[in-house]
Amino acid sequence: MINDEGALFMTPCRRKTASGPRLLAVVALVVSSLAQAAPQTFNTALPVAEGNLVLREQFLYRKADDDTSPARRDLRVNGAITVLGYGLTRDLALFGALPYLDKELDLDGPGGQRIERSSRGLGDARLFARYTAFKDDAPGRTFRIAPFFGVEAPTRDDDERDRFGRLPQPLQSGSGSWDPFGGVILTYQTLTYQLDAQFAYQANTEANDFEFGDEARLDGSFQYRLWPRKLGGGVPGFLYGVLEANLIHQEKHEINGRRDADSGGTQLLLSPGLQYVTRRWIIEGIIQLPTAQDVNGTALEDDVITRVGFRINF
Amino acid sequence: MTSKIHALLLALVAAVISTAAMAAGPRYQVEVDGLACPFCAYGIEKQLGNIQGVKNLETDIEAGRVIVTMEEGHTLDESRAELAVDRAGFTLGGFEPLDAPGTTHDQ
Repeated sequence: MINDEGALFMTPCRRKTASGPRLLAVVALVVSSLAQAAPQTFNTALPVAEGNLVLREQFLYRKADDDTSPARRDLRVNGAITVLGYGLTRDLALFGALPYLDKELDLDGPGGQRIERSSRGLGDARLFARYTAFKDDAPGRTFRIAPFFGVEAPTRDDDERDRFGRLPQPLQSGSGSWDPFGGVILTYQTLTYQLDAQFAYQANTEANDFEFGDEARLDGSFQYRLWPRKLGGGVPGFLYGVLEANLIHQEKHEINGRRDADSGGTQLLLSPGLQYVTRRWIIEGIIQLPTAQDVNGTALEDDVITRVGFRINF
Repeated sequence: MTSKIHALLLALVAAVISTAAMAAGPRYQVEVDGLACPFCAYGIEKQLGNIQGVKNLETDIEAGRVIVTMEEGHTLDESRAELAVDRAGFTLGGFEPLDAPGTTHDQ
């Protein structure tokens, strides 16, 4: 039996059989990397004060059109991720993230004509808790270690259709599966610079005869205060120069229990950016550039990812 | 005439300032270890600001300290300041009354 994703691309043109599953890596990475709180491409161990609420809104543009397969796929994702964090206690913070994504996939259809398939709407919600297990505070600096655990819940529609039939799984707004994830974050911050490192793992589960490959990632961030060069009392706004790196590995997906050879792989992204930080709000922007990509088969490679956004303290 | 108006305004401003100064209570220096960015300063200020009787807060992020000015008739004890700093996710590095008179009413 062929599932809906496979059927879509298998008839009548066999060469596009794996187009849907191949895209999973791209879209899954979009959602997973965006749905966390900070620095800009992942989380941070810095505290959310007890009773405090932090809102983060991040706008995304992602493009992947360097397709060498005959399908000449061109994927564009625009969207926004809303993240709300709440300090339940001194050490325990709860986060919820909800993406809104507009996904467009252009590809050559069975008759050689160019077709577009797309979806737009809210995606699956991610809920997670972060606990500060260790902290070492000193004047003007802090070091923290915080594990986090959560789940990506199937809160949105995973059976969207267009005139060609059921959308391939990567274009669906929801995955239909409960996907637990966890990891640990280390943060070292001084008045001059900040270093963050994170390891995270997401174990994806099956839904609709489809299972995304599990994902492991190692992230690093360096933020250096560019302005003001000298501090002169009070709480001035800080302008940080940012350099982040993401090493992401995703296992192959499974369709009807069989591994898809054209899915998953490993990516290294390097990302320069800027961040302006005040007491109540932060504005930030970063460009993620794929530096090395080793994807399986004909899985799509990223071209560029841009993120801009803001955070507000309540 | 102009000079008289200026003198009157100056006297008025001086009166307002002195009244405000007299209404202010004791001040305390709260040293916060781990404070290293402006976004985190908000959490400290919010927790200290929730203490009853706090009139004003002045944060110096470079020095890692907050000067807490209480309303007249209120004082701040170290344990309450420590609790506020702790709830903000930081560590109390020091606590020092700056010019606290012998008021009796605690928050």
